[in-house]
Amino acid sequence: MSLKIIKNYDEEQNQWKIDLIGEVDIYTAGQLKEAFIKIIEERKESIKINAEGLEYIDSTGLGVLIGALKRLKQENKDIIIYNVKASIKKLLNITGLDKIFIIEG
Amino acid sequence: MNKTNSDQIQLSIPNKPEYVSVARLTVTAIANRMGFDIEGIEDIKVAIAEACTNAITHGKNENDNFSVNFIMDEEKLTITVCDHGMGCIVNNIKKPDFNHLNQEKEGGLGIFIIRSLMDDVQITSNHGIGTTITMTKYMGDGY
Repeated sequence: MSLKIIKNYDEEQNQWKIDLIGEVDIYTAGQLKEAFIKIIEERKESIKINAEGLEYIDSTGLGVLIGALKRLKQENKDIIIYNVKASIKKLLNITGLDKIFIIEG
Repeated sequence: MNKTNSDQIQLSIPNKPEYVSVARLTVTAIANRMGFDIEGIEDIKVAIAEACTNAITHGKNENDNFSVNFIMDEEKLTITVCDHGMGCIVNNIKKPDFNHLNQEKEGGLGIFIIRSLMDDVQITSNHGIGTTITMTKYMGDGY
């Protein structure tokens, strides 16, 4: 299983909308990191992640999200994650990352 | 036949990121067969992936393999992930403090996750010898 990243810029809300589909682990985390670097270079705006199709994420993937948030926070921008699966929500809870990302739904 | 003997499965996995998913799928099948519930299976799956990621990150090189042992008892599953790498920091890993984002390094998060999700975790790490992570998940009540 691989990772598919679909990016769109929402002009009305002035934020990125990213669909993550598949799995983020040590194999695919590099792909996610590159995608984030690219979009933040393009526009340093908040990123809203639709995690409906995200089956799995591990510490390397969370590390990529933390890295991206660090860069966005310089401009007071956020990472919003919604449609999160229960198993991933649990991971965000135990690591305390639910306090630094905005989790919706 | 001696009933106290545990059933065992052993894997030898290349130090390559693309094989972590193999360990994940294998443990899913094993835990499912043993009768763990979905939440328990998810916990074990995440924990073994973190241990494998750790082995690959700190492992010797891509041509080396690390080993994963599954020991199946009636009431518990014990997994040992053993690499021959450089060793890593295993002590004093606390819950990460992301309130101070800029000071926080992402390392240690994997070990913290393993400790949170599994019931019993032991890690030994020696420079030049490698790291062994032994983790156990019990059936039933859990968390």
